[in-house]
Amino acid sequence: MDFSFTTKEEKFRLELRAWLEENLPEGWLEGTSNVSKDEGEYAVFLRNWQRKLYEGGWAAIAWPKKYGGREATLMEEIVYQQEMVRVKAPALVNYVGIHMVGPTLMQIGTDEQKSKYIQKIITGEEVWCQGYSEPNAGSDLSAIQTSAVKDGDRWIINGQKVWTSFGHLADRCFLLARTNRFDKKHKGITVFLLDMNQPGVETRPIIQMDGQHDFNEVYLNDAIAYDAEIVGEVDEGWKVTIALLMHERTGIGAQVFTLEQQFKELVALAKELKEDDMPLMDNPLVRHTMVDLYTRTRGSLLNYYRNLTKTLKNGHPGAEGSMDKLMVSELTKELLSQSISLQGHKGVLWKEDAISSNSYWQDNYLYSFGQTIGGGTSEIQKNTIGERILGLPKDMGR
Amino acid sequence: MDFSLNQEQEMFRGYVRKYLDGAGQTKTARAYIEGENESLRTLLSGLAELGCSSINISEDHGGMGLGPLDLIPVLEETGRSLLPGLFLETNALAVPLIEKFGTEVQKDRYLAEIAAGRKTFSLAWLEPGGSYGPSDINLEAKSLNGQLILSGVKSMVPDAGLADHYIVLVRTGKGKRNDGITLLIVDRNETNITMESQKNIDETRHLAALSFHDVEIPMGQVLGSMHQGWDALQEGLLSFNAALSAVIVGCMEKVVEMAAEYAKIREQFGQPIGRFQAIKHRIVDMKMDLETARSLAYYANWALESGAEDRVQAVSCARIFATKAFVRISSDNIQVHGGIGFTEEIDCHLFVKRARFYENYLGSTEQYYKQAATALGW
Repeated sequence: MDFSFTTKEEKFRLELRAWLEENLPEGWLEGTSNVSKDEGEYAVFLRNWQRKLYEGGWAAIAWPKKYGGREATLMEEIVYQQEMVRVKAPALVNYVGIHMVGPTLMQIGTDEQKSKYIQKIITGEEVWCQGYSEPNAGSDLSAIQTSAVKDGDRWIINGQKVWTSFGHLADRCFLLARTNRFDKKHKGITVFLLDMNQPGVETRPIIQMDGQHDFNEVYLNDAIAYDAEIVGEVDEGWKVTIALLMHERTGIGAQVFTLEQQFKELVALAKELKEDDMPLMDNPLVRHTMVDLYTRTRGSLLNYYRNLTKTLKNGHPGAEGSMDKLMVSELTKELLSQSISLQGHKGVLWKEDAISSNSYWQDNYLYSFGQTIGGGTSEIQKNTIGERILGLPKDMGR
Repeated sequence: MDFSLNQEQEMFRGYVRKYLDGAGQTKTARAYIEGENESLRTLLSGLAELGCSSINISEDHGGMGLGPLDLIPVLEETGRSLLPGLFLETNALAVPLIEKFGTEVQKDRYLAEIAAGRKTFSLAWLEPGGSYGPSDINLEAKSLNGQLILSGVKSMVPDAGLADHYIVLVRTGKGKRNDGITLLIVDRNETNITMESQKNIDETRHLAALSFHDVEIPMGQVLGSMHQGWDALQEGLLSFNAALSAVIVGCMEKVVEMAAEYAKIREQFGQPIGRFQAIKHRIVDMKMDLETARSLAYYANWALESGAEDRVQAVSCARIFATKAFVRISSDNIQVHGGIGFTEEIDCHLFVKRARFYENYLGSTEQYYKQAATALGW
């Protein structure tokens, strides 16, 4: 048993730390940076940040060197996530491109696709989104109805996608469409690398309960894709989507480390806030709750490390990732709920009127409701754990 | 990064499991409930032959000189079988206390005997109507002619009838504070001790009240320093609680297996009940509790073994989580089993009862919450 990082891993950490100090936006670490709330300007800010990451060699560290990566080990990826969480680095605008599309194309893309897309993914020149969910296909992804009909060397695509993260900023979409109606729903799906900048594609924003806009609806009305934009075989897209999921080596690492950090911040909050002149942390009931949260936060981090050890030994992640996802997302929700409770009635103040004036806790609390839904709901995770880890019989209807 | 038991430890687990499975798992516990102690004795000497009782005893005293992590496999496996007896109390409380605070004479006298599986220890802490707090330790030990004369009553002494020796908390100083408490090693066969058994929910563990009537104990039986027994005990409890967490992980693992296996074979409405999400998700919640308890327990033992700075909070949290989660999931296990789970016939109830036994065993849950908060500097 060994919880330490190797000298090489620690050297990697220091190198990244030094780079971040040098290159994070002005005032970022001090919390005085002024990032525009205007959507267009914010998009430019994110693209510039990714460009900077690329130039420093930090945009896609796990990628092969020939594509601009540094062939980082799994543990180096973990260190990377820890450090990015520690400085609360700006979001990676091309997350889908770097973590899903790029590695998938490297594995099963044609030579033409590799040379056409991969470089532009890492530089941030082309931002990608994922066209998976539909109004009637959420947890049951195989129920997608968006259709692609062959027309010469083109495909005519019609349908609607939803929950498309960064769809409003994206240049291309990793799109699932139905090309054939087989008895088995998983058959007959094809993956297209769809150009978002065309008349047949329209995105409409979805405003979340936290007031933010990450997600979109994407309407496809006679959108066009070409044969050369198909990944893998026609009708065999399900295999491609599974292959894509396997590229998520680190699982929910970033969320585990965020949870750990938010717990420390919650302790600081409970020490700072007072009720009738007494710090909340001196109240036995609050201490009890905090010990409970500490225990489970530690538990989820340690569970994550135990599963990571398995991934290191087996060379690929297993179904245990569902356990990490379930626990961390549920616990994050609970922790953030507690952050609102601790603030008393002032917990309802929002935005510039919140106690922390930037409404850090309120925003994160509201956002957390999405975490037990996106990426597979808690209920779906429980089905996966029950069936794949405990060997319980499959759910009815499947 | 490597958060797993090593190959030797897992291999050793294999031997112990095979042995305990061969003995019919909870069969020994059920025999013990019926008052038949012989199978337990046989089983314990078998475990000792495998080397279980010598793992964490120093090589100078006939042991293997290994640490808390090496003890985990045995602890978990005994938990799975709900093994009665005092293995945990002997190897995870008495041994660390004697190793750390014992005199050479005490070490020579007791450690090799424990390593060989010939002697066991219990702990006489609680007194009638009292709590685990230092102010409730009133059993008086008066100094007289180079001896200590004990009079008073200890209650709820675990498996007092099985133990060869007791570690007894006595009051040697005036007042109610923790700096007047001394630990003594007392033989069960000492005259003037009377034993009265106390019924408890977990019939796989026996409890008894011990009355001391002017029991004369030589000074050489003081474990650690006079009046400083409380602090020594806290050290011992760190080892004990890390080990207890591992025992509970073993119990919990068995509980989750029982629930999952039953949900696969029990059919209602023409299908296995494990297909229903109401059942499936409940068992998944149980599994989540199990794995979290395991991570916390393994880490706690690692923290102890490596002297990590956060060992006190690590051990308290492992104990808090394990004791509470065990109550939760052993109860859920009955619900998953439905009517049969409510019967004496099936093992479900034995695990609930053991969970209740451990919940406030050698320290209350609330005390451990406090200990964690203090260790965290809150």
